[in-house]
Amino acid sequence: MPRTTSGTRRLFRWIGNGLLLVMLVWTLVPFYWMIATSLKADREIYGFEATLVPHHPTLAAYVRLFQQTPFLKYVRNSTIIAVSTTAVSLVFGCLGAYALARLRFRGRRLIARGLVFTYLVPPSLLFIPLFAMMSALSLADTHQGLILAYLGFTVPFCTWLLMGYFRSVPLELEEAALVDGCTRLGALIRVVLPMSLPALAVVAFFSFTQAWNEFLYANVFVNSVEVRTITTGLTMFIIEDVFFWGPMMGAAFLSALPPLVVYLIFQRWVVKGLTLGAVKG
Amino acid sequence: MTKTNVTRRQMLKTAAAASLATTGPWWLVRGSHGARAKKLVFWQLPNFTPLADQLQKEQVYEFAKSAGLKESEVEYATVANEGFAEKLAAALEAGNPPDVARLYESNVQFYAAQGHLLDVTDLVDKMRREPKGIFDSSLTAVRYNGRAYGVPLAVNPWPVHARIDLLEQHKLDYPKTWDEFIETCRKIQSPPRLFGFGMCLGLVEDTTDNVMNLLWCYGGKMVEADNKTVVMNSPENAAGVKVIEAMFRTHKIIPQGTIGWDNSGNNKAYQSRQAAFVMNPTSIYAYLNQSDPDLQKRTGLFPVPAGPKGTVNLIDTWAFGAFKQNPYPELARGLISHFMQPANYDKIIQSTGGRWVPVYKRLFDSPFWKSKPEFKHFVGMAETGMPVSYAGSPTPAAGEVLNTHVIPKMIQRVLVDNWEPPRALEECHRRIEEVYARNLKL
Repeated sequence: MPRTTSGTRRLFRWIGNGLLLVMLVWTLVPFYWMIATSLKADREIYGFEATLVPHHPTLAAYVRLFQQTPFLKYVRNSTIIAVSTTAVSLVFGCLGAYALARLRFRGRRLIARGLVFTYLVPPSLLFIPLFAMMSALSLADTHQGLILAYLGFTVPFCTWLLMGYFRSVPLELEEAALVDGCTRLGALIRVVLPMSLPALAVVAFFSFTQAWNEFLYANVFVNSVEVRTITTGLTMFIIEDVFFWGPMMGAAFLSALPPLVVYLIFQRWVVKGLTLGAVKG
Repeated sequence: MTKTNVTRRQMLKTAAAASLATTGPWWLVRGSHGARAKKLVFWQLPNFTPLADQLQKEQVYEFAKSAGLKESEVEYATVANEGFAEKLAAALEAGNPPDVARLYESNVQFYAAQGHLLDVTDLVDKMRREPKGIFDSSLTAVRYNGRAYGVPLAVNPWPVHARIDLLEQHKLDYPKTWDEFIETCRKIQSPPRLFGFGMCLGLVEDTTDNVMNLLWCYGGKMVEADNKTVVMNSPENAAGVKVIEAMFRTHKIIPQGTIGWDNSGNNKAYQSRQAAFVMNPTSIYAYLNQSDPDLQKRTGLFPVPAGPKGTVNLIDTWAFGAFKQNPYPELARGLISHFMQPANYDKIIQSTGGRWVPVYKRLFDSPFWKSKPEFKHFVGMAETGMPVSYAGSPTPAAGEVLNTHVIPKMIQRVLVDNWEPPRALEECHRRIEEVYARNLKL
């Protein structure tokens, strides 16, 4: 019955669109609220009625953010740390995953399982011993220290995810490359990695957002403005029991943009990477 | 099935490698303490006024220079309130805490009890010898087992922030008693836009402060001065709780939403002009100073109204603490002394615009404290104010009662679960007794 099938399809499409709309609103409203609040004067933020649209829009919060706080330094530090963490995670993740997927050596399985366990240990258990080590190695309050700490949870995840993907790359392609004179590293770079772009995009995006959004380590390991990241910088807008919502929302909105940009750049591969193995072709 | 033989040598090698791998980091840490280069580390919490931050920083570098330190040997860090406890815990475990940090009174007691703080009784005694001395009320916060483990930095009074414009509009004076207070609130409020009293009643610390302050006026208290005998379940406390219940249920001068407030709830209520009166430290006043001068002009700071036992005001105390683990205690003590020299100290206190009340009595002679009527009652509050643990001291047990919200749970039993006040107080009394008994055993 073609008509019924078409009607059912239309109904499902409407339901699907409706659900998507709800999810869209659910996702965008916090962003809108951040922007709107950052454009309101304090009097309006603390007004009796919550206003959806700022009555008297002002950039005062942004002026304060850029002129009276070291917000740009926070952005610089977050960028250095997130980009470095991402780059190093990709390099170590690729090398580690390739070794675990392709090479045969004693303890391989143990290491692979160990990666998962490492990833499962919550940061709240690790921050004190990690800080102790950082202090001992004079790495506390440095970009390098924070990057190293973040690698502790990004590298295991990247390695684990890439390991699964590398296994799905046909071995014959690599063998052909080796026969043609490629080294192992050459085969990895020239054959495996170009075929693994979706997985690389996922791990890059994951590493970047993890490093960009992390709070606990950044709070404990960093003291100086020269190293402080955005997440911990945001807390400086809470003085005792008073919240300075305008600049805080402005800073939160601006800090949400870089992960969004990274996502948009890698979007095509990220979606593909996230659905890897969902269906067999 | 294959059989694997492990030799004794292999076993020993594996054991040695495992021991090295697991304990290596800790050996590194052990070495770090003694090896720390000469450096002065100061942790400051953010102030409301940039000027106060700037002056504090200048004084740190000024002292460092006089002590022969280079700029690179000074670490001045502004640490946010959020996550301060985790940060300090990690620093202490790593053997690398700051030399000096600004601490809240319960932190002083907690870290003193754990043996982390330097005895600074001599510094406090020196301050007491200044002309007119210092407010004794500030000393209870820093004393532990008869010695001072912190130097009181500022008295933090909890005045009633009152909308004097509304009082004038209704031709009313600031109420002298709680009965008058209720009447005044009823007259000036116009719910839901404006409620009389923004009393904090959520499961947070401010609720303990607000509730206990009112109970004192009715003769109630939490613990006796011996810091052992819990007296929560008393007729006086029951009378006070009944007054709160009446304000909430009968007179409806407290908004219903207060039971879900966090510590900033009363701030927001006042800042948004939805409450005519709130009891809070002058952080609200400091916020208005910066962000809403119009409302600041309409605001008065008053002692709490009196109950049958008179008026008792809550104060808490901020202090400087110096940590023992650092290898250069003289630098830490020197820095605190430098801050607390009355001339240096007065500059910082005044730069906070009334947020901090000085611990030196004679500093109140300065024209600054006579410049605004809002400051009029500060001397009296600093002179007679009580810590939230009154009649006891702010001991670690009192800190636990505050942080585990035992008293807010009691008031919510009455307001949310409809328990009779004596029943709620009985349960609360038992819990506090448990806390004090456990802490006495430690």
